[in-house]
Amino acid sequence: MSPRSLKSIGGKVGTGFAITVLLIWSLGPIYWSVVTSLTSPTDLISSTPRFWPSHVTFEHYARLFGSTSLSQGNEVQSVWPQFSAALINSLITSAVATLLTVGIAAFSAYAFVRMRFPGRDLLFVLVVATLAIPAYTVMIPLYRLMISLKLVDTYLGVSLIYVSAFLPLALWLMRSVYQAMPLSLEEAAWLDGASKLYTLVRIVMPLAAPGLIAAAIITFLNAWGQFLIPLVFSPTLATKPLTVLIPEFVGRNYVDYGLINAAGIVAIIPPVLVVLLLNRFLVSGLMAGATK
Amino acid sequence: MANLAISGLRKNYGTVEVIHGLDLTIEDGEFISLIGESGCGKSTLLRMIAGLEDISAGTISVNDRVINDVEPKNRDMAMVFQNYALYPHLTVAENMGFSLKLRNVEKAQIKTAVGEVAEMLNLTPYLDRLPRALSGGQRQRVAMGRAIVRRPQVFLFDEPLSNLDAKLRVQMRVEIRALQRRLGTTSIYVTHDQMEAMTMSDRIVILNKGRIEQVGSPLELYDRPANLFVATFIGSPAMNIFQAIVERGEGGTHLRIGSARFRLPPQFDIGKDATVTVGIRPEHFEVSEPAGAAGEDKLDFRLELIEPTGAETHLYGAAAGQMVTVAVRDRLSFRTPAQLSLSARPEHIHLFREKDGTRLGTL
Repeated sequence: MSPRSLKSIGGKVGTGFAITVLLIWSLGPIYWSVVTSLTSPTDLISSTPRFWPSHVTFEHYARLFGSTSLSQGNEVQSVWPQFSAALINSLITSAVATLLTVGIAAFSAYAFVRMRFPGRDLLFVLVVATLAIPAYTVMIPLYRLMISLKLVDTYLGVSLIYVSAFLPLALWLMRSVYQAMPLSLEEAAWLDGASKLYTLVRIVMPLAAPGLIAAAIITFLNAWGQFLIPLVFSPTLATKPLTVLIPEFVGRNYVDYGLINAAGIVAIIPPVLVVLLLNRFLVSGLMAGATK
Repeated sequence: MANLAISGLRKNYGTVEVIHGLDLTIEDGEFISLIGESGCGKSTLLRMIAGLEDISAGTISVNDRVINDVEPKNRDMAMVFQNYALYPHLTVAENMGFSLKLRNVEKAQIKTAVGEVAEMLNLTPYLDRLPRALSGGQRQRVAMGRAIVRRPQVFLFDEPLSNLDAKLRVQMRVEIRALQRRLGTTSIYVTHDQMEAMTMSDRIVILNKGRIEQVGSPLELYDRPANLFVATFIGSPAMNIFQAIVERGEGGTHLRIGSARFRLPPQFDIGKDATVTVGIRPEHFEVSEPAGAAGEDKLDFRLELIEPTGAETHLYGAAAGQMVTVAVRDRLSFRTPAQLSLSARPEHIHLFREKDGTRLGTL
């Protein structure tokens, strides 16, 4: 074999290895979670680990969705009421945060790119710099602020905190999207008689759609996965999301691995659906044909 | 219908001034070209007229109304951009009808107007396509159509043909000119291509470093360039420039260029032993061979290279100690190198003041 083909085989083996490691790294925990959620409680504590349960059981899912179910031989109340409330809370806070964040970023990033005002770049740097502030450092003052505004344990309060946390990233992303767009398109629209706002909404935003979608995906996933903020600001089921509810299945004497994992698996379905849906619009080449 | 008056126009970027007080009047229906090297301010001037750049000082008026502070959207000017700037997510018809839609023109009326212009530009089969499905030339036409549909007071063209291939460029040049004649709309056309400017314009404005060097009809610029810059800028290949010494002796004053001496008519009042700059266009030389027959007014020319272009033959070589280009209509078959003589008729020998390049006249 020539050194060249050896080299190419070596490259392929290396690539395959890297992909395998990456897949195990990212899908491994999910697989483990699926398996655990399908394993009976007694098998879960057996000393020999298994990659697939000996008997597949749906009892954990039954406890999640049913009205009543058996747990350790006793009939218990199902967790569905709490679980469904938390699922709705997660959906609402994430959706509101995403809409607000992307909406604000879409307009303000444009101002940072196309409008001239004193301190424009400094202001932008300051906003983006807040990304570097750890959430822990502002938690206590923020809590006092939210109490005085009576916003603790409200959708509005939690969503607003999410917006303040995720807006800088979305703003940064949208700014670079707008910067990459040819100014002549907007100038053509102005000369055609369009106002700046009309131009932004009807010409710029449709062409910036992939950027807006990407910002929406990032924000939604970020909001969906939040733990610390809702742990502090969503004390009751009025706004408590799944990320805070699920760890509560850990009791004083008993860790309900099966239920935790079943709930976890259900909890990743909405973000997966959102990403799959939005990804369809994340097409490139929208700008093709504009110039030259 | 609009005439344009530009007066004392200046543009600064910070402390750097890029346009230094321009004055220009453009008549109603006129086709005027702004031409100059890159960075001369021609595009900036056009964008100031369009309202896309702020005016630092001076005024721009349309029909005697100052429009300095009028928003671009209210200036009633249409612009064709160098990169076309078509809305990529709108169809050809929507692109062309965009400005009418903004003015709340009825749908049926927009359709008729777009249809008429599309017919004019041979775009009818493409009305439902997106710009990405069009060729470069078709996109250029859509950009033109978008400007025409709204019947603006003024057309502004920013190097609209520079992205097309040579053949299409010539074709579009003719079409744009014919359309403009038909519509009679005042047009300002920015280009760096002097052929475009020469063939299309009623008048040409030559800009250099933010100043107007000369304004005139194409042939005026060619025949009577106001200064050395215009003389070397207009014409291809460029005018040959020589330094000539004024000799005063028996039999009057003469101008010496290398081996040749030309009689200097008395109207030129140039000091003795002074030098003047002489310009002769490549196509105004007459070539004769060989040097044996050299007369007073013949310039020794050492031919180094012959370049046939089909219609013309370009000769490159040295005369009076510098590189000289000669363009002739005949197909010459000299061997290179060769020793030849060049002569030119007095009315084709341009004189410029050496100090500042201002035109003095022809011999």
